Amino acid sequence: MRQESGGTRRPSFLRALTVWRAAKIAVLVALLILVPYVSDSAFITTVFISAVMFGLFAAIYDLMIGYAGLINFGYAGFIAAGAYTSALAWLHFGVSPWLGLLLAGFVCAAIGFFTGLVSLRLRGLYLALMTFFIGEAIRFTISNTPDYTRGMLGLNVAPFPSIFGIDFSRGNYLNYYYLLLVIGAVIMTFMTALVNSKYGLAFQALREDPLATESLGISTTRYKLLNFTIASFLTGIVAGFYAHYLGILSPTPQEFGVPRTVEILTITYVGGRGTLWGSLFSGFLLIGFQEYFRALGAWRLVLFGCLLIFVMLYARRGLAGLKKYVW
Amino acid sequence: MELSILLDPFILAEVSLQGLIRGSMYGLMACGLSLIFGLMGVKNFSHGEFFMLGAYAMFFVAVIMDMPFILGIGAAAAVLFVFGVLVERTLIRTLRRRAGREWLLDAFVLTIGLMVVLQNLALLTFGSTRRGVPTLIPGGVEIGPIWLTNDRLLILVAAILIVSMLGVFIRYTRMGKAMLATGQHPEAAQTLGIDINRVYTYTFGLGAALAGIAGALLISIFPAYPTVGFHPVIKSIAAVILGGLGNVPGAIAAGVLLGLIEAYTTFFLASGWQHVITAVLVVLVLIVRPYGLFSSAKGERP
Amino acid sequence: MALEIEGVTAGYVKEVPILRDVDLTAGDGLVTVIIGPNGAGKSTLLKVICGYLQAAQGVIRHDGVSLSGLQPKDMLRHGIAYLIQGHSVFPRMSVQDNLELGAWLLGRDRRAIRQAFDDLYTRYPLLRQKRRMLAGDLSGGEQRMLELARLTMTQPKTLLLDEPSVGLMPKLVDSVYQEIARLKEHGYTILIVDQNVRKAMHIADYVYVLKLGENSHHGPRDDIEPRLNAIIREWI
Repeated sequence: MRQESGGTRRPSFLRALTVWRAAKIAVLVALLILVPYVSDSAFITTVFISAVMFGLFAAIYDLMIGYAGLINFGYAGFIAAGAYTSALAWLHFGVSPWLGLLLAGFVCAAIGFFTGLVSLRLRGLYLALMTFFIGEAIRFTISNTPDYTRGMLGLNVAPFPSIFGIDFSRGNYLNYYYLLLVIGAVIMTFMTALVNSKYGLAFQALREDPLATESLGISTTRYKLLNFTIASFLTGIVAGFYAHYLGILSPTPQEFGVPRTVEILTITYVGGRGTLWGSLFSGFLLIGFQEYFRALGAWRLVLFGCLLIFVMLYARRGLAGLKKYVW
Repeated sequence: MELSILLDPFILAEVSLQGLIRGSMYGLMACGLSLIFGLMGVKNFSHGEFFMLGAYAMFFVAVIMDMPFILGIGAAAAVLFVFGVLVERTLIRTLRRRAGREWLLDAFVLTIGLMVVLQNLALLTFGSTRRGVPTLIPGGVEIGPIWLTNDRLLILVAAILIVSMLGVFIRYTRMGKAMLATGQHPEAAQTLGIDINRVYTYTFGLGAALAGIAGALLISIFPAYPTVGFHPVIKSIAAVILGGLGNVPGAIAAGVLLGLIEAYTTFFLASGWQHVITAVLVVLVLIVRPYGLFSSAKGERP
Repeated sequence: MALEIEGVTAGYVKEVPILRDVDLTAGDGLVTVIIGPNGAGKSTLLKVICGYLQAAQGVIRHDGVSLSGLQPKDMLRHGIAYLIQGHSVFPRMSVQDNLELGAWLLGRDRRAIRQAFDDLYTRYPLLRQKRRMLAGDLSGGEQRMLELARLTMTQPKTLLLDEPSVGLMPKLVDSVYQEIARLKEHGYTILIVDQNVRKAMHIADYVYVLKLGENSHHGPRDDIEPRLNAIIREWI
């Protein structure tokens, strides 16, 4: 059932439906902007920041797996690369974190390009394993070079300096939140435009049948590289934000290893592969759930894993499959 | 580092032996992983958790019930076999039925979910304390200048024994031959009346049991705790890739190779670098020889 | 009648049936050949018979027993041996092991297995000679012979052969048809799907022509053969 909210079937209602939809989107956006502001609670704001941040990571992940069928199983390593780039550039070379965001994007893009290049001939599982080992190599390199990165001791990262008179000192969560919303809006707009362009079609062709795609004269190589590079660039930018917002980085598996990749992958899958926006919704759902149930400890992750298994087996379209009931 | 230490033959022999012992266990684990992969195409990421459960089974039998450790190995094998069968019957088979062409990638993600669930259930049930057995058989033997504890000797002997038994099982028994046939041509196996779903179930159970045995045997080196499986599973996944996916003897050889690399890097560099070196090696092999170090092309010779 | 197919409609997607209302009967001990242009649904018909694909409508009976609901693995037990298209030996197992797997249904009955081997090796002395070789190291023609021999280990009643001569060197094609003729002499009921219309015609007793998933012509070989050129012209 690939029907879009039934609108195409009833053209007379089309107009009403679009207005209705626009209204709903407006409400959601208003909630997104106003809730942390109105609630005036640091806790709510940090939860919103985590939710949007991981929703963004998951949406970018979706650009790779959901649209082009490229599984990046070392994704957390890419995030580490971005986060450490910006942090270390500031620490060792005094590069402004604002520039650091871009720098992180470019370094990640380079790593993404390199990954795409070395795994040109690989698909599916092989690609998953290749990226997994690349991600782990990044993480272990960070933990093995404590002279530069402080390794497992943890690296303190400066907050963003003030810009346009907006103060970003630590603890000023609301400003960080709105900064993230701006970054997120740009990234989501860009990705939505991308997947709806001819590139998006090429990505999907790549996912469905690489051989046939090649025979249609679409260069799988080119689009694979493009997809990986763009996704990595965007990851780097969000990762840079992550570093300066969080203030401390350490290359533990929980932060930059498999558990983190699994978390993001779960958000993507629960949101529904190939939907981009679904990831944001499930980001709120899962991160909200996670924060709310901190007291549950390990049960939280058990539920996470069960949820992933459930989605794989019985709800293969994720939240997007529920859309027709609630949206 | 002094060059003289680097070249000291006794130290080299000692380090090689360490590597051989760890490598034999990686080989044993990789064996199960490769078997499952070769037959079913499923890359089982929860293999490390099977290892972990094996270690707990060993601890339960050998320490809590104070029974001979050999029963612990048996218990680990039996428990994991049954567990593997259940996982295949419930999860993997359902997925194979429900997902389409790309189900293998989904199966990989599914086993990741399973990994998270098992790890954290173990954490909730057993806590994060390391539960080890200091020694299984006290004492050791002297081989020239090298002192080899009985435990390590046991690991080495057991690994060789189990791999040989596996080889005999696959080559000479009815189920073993059915497994080989299903791996080489599932459709043809079906036309001969072989129930390939049953073969898959057995294979998964067998692979899980091998991981469980490795976990049980290694308890004196890797005490049981919830995330103990992560290090071995990475090594064995690397071994499976290096050996050529689905190439069981290749995976064993690569497992031993990785054990040696681990021992040498730990000795000559900081221990953290072994992971980087393993990863770089795997990445290089995937670039240059995607079908593994020991296979000339996909599907050629097991 | 060994195999009876009545009004079978089937396809991979419900809305697009590949076979429509197909009737076919394969007589006991006869060679029945199905010919037709590409996409006529010839191979699909065999897949439906063997349970790879469930028929949406229609009945398939073998020896009077309905085959509906059976899975591919159940076919040999019901006396139907199916030679799938392309290579189907287990290449990295010995010839002997390949044949042993052909006797899978005999279970652990050692005597029956030995009997089956004795019979088979008398019929195929070449396979006895090469029994220790890896099946993948046999020549293309020998592999096909092994595949056919393997199907007869449990003495089924009916053989379904999907493109038995495809992918073989031209000079080997004749030997495959000789082999099929020999199997017929042993009393097997044989149903062949074949692209190689003329060769198949030589050994056929009865011929069915499928076109776009429907019956188009059928009749004894002697009826169809003179009209063959006209029939083939219809395809283009």
